[in-house]
Amino acid sequence: MKNVVLSIGSPFPEFKKMAVVSTEKGKEFYEITLDELKSSGKWVVLFWWPKDFTFVCPTEIAAFNKHFSDFEDRDALLIGASTDSEYVHLAWRKDHEDLKDLRFPMLADTSKSLAEELGILEANEKVAYRATYIIDPQGIVRWVSLYDLSVGRNVKEVLRVLDALQTDELCPCNWQKGEATLQA
Amino acid sequence: MFATTQNETVFNLLKELGLHVDQLKGNLKLLSDAESRYLKDLKINVSNALNSEDLSRKEAYLIGIAVAANEDNAILQNAFESLAQENEASLQEIAEAVACTSLLNANNIFYRFRHFTKKEFYQTTPAGIKMSIMANPVLGKEFFELLSLVISALNGCELCVTSHEEALVREGTPPQRILAAVRLGAVLKSLSVLL
Repeated sequence: MKNVVLSIGSPFPEFKKMAVVSTEKGKEFYEITLDELKSSGKWVVLFWWPKDFTFVCPTEIAAFNKHFSDFEDRDALLIGASTDSEYVHLAWRKDHEDLKDLRFPMLADTSKSLAEELGILEANEKVAYRATYIIDPQGIVRWVSLYDLSVGRNVKEVLRVLDALQTDELCPCNWQKGEATLQA
Repeated sequence: MFATTQNETVFNLLKELGLHVDQLKGNLKLLSDAESRYLKDLKINVSNALNSEDLSRKEAYLIGIAVAANEDNAILQNAFESLAQENEASLQEIAEAVACTSLLNANNIFYRFRHFTKKEFYQTTPAGIKMSIMANPVLGKEFFELLSLVISALNGCELCVTSHEEALVREGTPPQRILAAVRLGAVLKSLSVLL
C-alpha cells in the first residue's frame, strides 16, 4: 500500500463521523461533520493515534487535554481521532484515569474511510499513524505532521505552528512592502 | 457542542502570573465582563513572551519586575517578585532590577534631551549623573544591558535604545534574545494597562 498524504493547500475532505464528547449518560455521542466545523468559523486541530487502550496514547492525549484552553484561546477546535469505534472510545474514557476529564471530542473513524482518504493508514494493521492536521476556518489544510506509531508528539510545537499560521500582522506600523513576515 | 467557555482565558492569565482571582477588577474586569476577544490575544501574547526560549524563566520574571516598577504597577511587581524568587532570583538581583529601572528613568530623560536638542554644549558637558551600579552589576553585564534596553524602549529614548542595543551586540547577544526581551517589555506594558 502506498500512502499519499493529504497535505498543505488541499481542502479537507467532507466527513460525517460519530464522536464521544462526554461520559455522562445520554450525552456521550455527537455527530461531527466538516460542514459544522467550517460554519463555526474556527481553526481545527485534528490529531490521530493508532489504537485506544494502548500505553503511549493516553500520555499524549492527556498532554493535548492539558493545553485545551490554549487551543481555545487561539480559536481552534481540538479533536482527537482514531479508527476505533465510538463505543471503544467511550469505554476507554471511562476506564482510564487520565482520560476521565477530556474536554475535546474523540472522533470514531470506524470505517477507516477518513484515515484512508488522508493517506495516514498504516499498511499492516490498518490503524492511523500519529498524524496532526491544522485546518483553517475555510477548511483548507495548513499543516500536517506525520509520526510513526511509536513516536509521541510535542503539543507546544503544535501551538507554535498555530500561532505562526494565525499571525497576520495587521498593525500599519509593520507595513514594509516586499518584506516577508518572520515569526520566531 | 463547540461553544466556548467564558472567563477561562482571564483566569488562566491570572494563574500564569500567580495572581488570585480577586485581582480581576478594573480594566481587566471590564474586558472580562464584556467577553472581549482581545483577552485571548493578550493571554497568548503574555504567555508566549514570558515563555520565550531566548530568555530563562528567571530572566523573564526579572524583566517583569523592571517593567512593573517602571509602570508603577505594584500588583504586577509583587506577582513577578514571587515568580522570580520561585525561580531562584536572589533579593539582591531583584533589587538590582528595580535599581536599574530607577537609574534608567533618569538616563532616559536626560539623554533624550541631548538627542532632541543636538547642541554642542549639552553634548559635551558631562552628564553629572552617577551610575556606578552599571560597572559591576550582580545580574551580570549582559543582562543589565538587556534590562536597560527594555526600559529605554518603554520610555522612548532613541539614543538610549540604540546605545544599549549596540552594547548588547558587542557582548555577543543574539538578535533573537534582544527581540524577545523587547517584545516581553512591550507585551507586559500592555498587560499593565489592564491590571
